[in-house]
Amino acid sequence: MEKSSRIKGAESVLNLEPNSSIAIGYHGLFGSHDDTMLLEIDEKLLPDILHQRVTLRGQPDEDSVLCTRSKTYAIKFVGTSNSPLLIPPSGQFALCESSQDFDGGVHDFAPVIKVAHGNMELVEVAPKLDKLKLLLSENPYSYEDVLEMDFMEDVEKNKARLYNWDDLVERVQASDEELRSGLRALSAVEIDGFWRIVDEKYMDMILRMLLHNSVLNDWSLDALNEDDVVSVLVSDGFPDKLAYHCLHVYGSKVDGDVGRSCVWKLDERRVCVHFARQILSTEKKKMETFMAEWLQRIPGGMQASFDMLEGEVLMEKLGIETWVYAFSVSSLPLTPAERFNMLFRERSKWEWKDLQPYLRDLNVPGLSSEGLLLKYTRRAQPTSEAEPVFSSR
Amino acid sequence: MQIRVKCSCGAEKCPEWAVVELQGTVELNASFQTHLQNLQIGQLCRLSSTSQESYTFTVGYHELTGSKVTLKKPLLVLKKVKGFMDVDQNDDNNKKDDLPSSKVELDVIGIIRHKILFKTRPKALISKPQPLVKERTRAAVHTVPN
Ligand SMILES: [Zn+2]
Repeated sequence: MEKSSRIKGAESVLNLEPNSSIAIGYHGLFGSHDDTMLLEIDEKLLPDILHQRVTLRGQPDEDSVLCTRSKTYAIKFVGTSNSPLLIPPSGQFALCESSQDFDGGVHDFAPVIKVAHGNMELVEVAPKLDKLKLLLSENPYSYEDVLEMDFMEDVEKNKARLYNWDDLVERVQASDEELRSGLRALSAVEIDGFWRIVDEKYMDMILRMLLHNSVLNDWSLDALNEDDVVSVLVSDGFPDKLAYHCLHVYGSKVDGDVGRSCVWKLDERRVCVHFARQILSTEKKKMETFMAEWLQRIPGGMQASFDMLEGEVLMEKLGIETWVYAFSVSSLPLTPAERFNMLFRERSKWEWKDLQPYLRDLNVPGLSSEGLLLKYTRRAQPTSEAEPVFSSR
Repeated sequence: MQIRVKCSCGAEKCPEWAVVELQGTVELNASFQTHLQNLQIGQLCRLSSTSQESYTFTVGYHELTGSKVTLKKPLLVLKKVKGFMDVDQNDDNNKKDDLPSSKVELDVIGIIRHKILFKTRPKALISKPQPLVKERTRAAVHTVPN
């Protein structure tokens, strides 16, 4: 009998019959095999991984994350003081059979390819979307972009600061779904293949032009004909992509269409918030001044109310006067530690009704909003009837 | 950058690997260290059938007893491989020039669902010890750099 015929593998170890034995020894290719590693995964992720729907993402200076289609996981290495001996199935690490000469005597022999001193584990984490905001804020789409459309060389020159989908996937540690919803949350739009956020002043120009035309043409803000809106805005010099974008940002599609065109309804809250932000974009205002200016800018048929501005505007008392100023949740980091840091830099004490609008978009896997508060705030409640007050930990 | 995780065995056919887990660190006499290959570590023996799968592992002059356990979560054996570059690269050179072009992929070359775990300290079979297995403790948790 040939000695080589007794070289077995994992299957012989796993299916060892009772009252039988097998020699365990070093494989002809035994070594540290640093390029081979173990990853512990949840059974439910197995199909995603085996069917190639998973990638590792990260720049060289970042810790890699593992992304499925919808989720992001941090990768942790967990060491062990034990010695797990890894035995591959026979035939997986091809050996030159004739060179086999083990000291195992007459028994079957299962070769160990490597000792695994630990394995990687996955921990679900929030996607790193602050970086997405940072990248897109480098070069927001503005009126200059429209002017530059006639000079293609300038556009070419600017491309260095623009990102298409693949560029974002390369740079942002988030799953495809999380990246898409991150782009939606930033009201980003794909223009000429590049994802852009649009400068707020430019959005203001388009929105005011849309409202102006609605008055001129006697359109209802609850039933705007998409084709009419887009063609009017295009004739006013706005790219059609931006005209559609304006409808998406400030409105929503409604059922029922006129011919083949979609019908849109402007969203009262989003339109009102937009004008409040515009008014407060440069300075804080006395409450009465602000309210007067705001109500005057709101388009006819819409009702502004101050609660629309939670998460956008804060009030402060200076003497007997009440002032308001812009403090938008969308300008705050998405990482909880950094978010709370910014919040407590703004105010050292927060009442729950003021704080809550600045927290509800935070999504930390494995941590409830109660958990977030416990971790990052100190809660004080002078009497049982009093509102709790939160301060920095 | 992005590293694709794939299974070139074809998903359901991804083979199962075996693990024999010993307490402590496997250590060898200095004379062996240059040529470990094909050297025997020990003898694995499955005991006559009981409800639970029991094993002994005989290492040098020591005998360990252990059992087969099913892992709560499977372990994948991943191997870093240089992926094949697409042949039709000529059509677009506007691809990110600033990123390294070598394509690394992770291939799932095996899956581990069971291990034969020896928790006991070695029991000497005869008095003259020449242990291959020694007790050692190691650092427990750290993170992997990219
Ligand atoms: Zn595989």
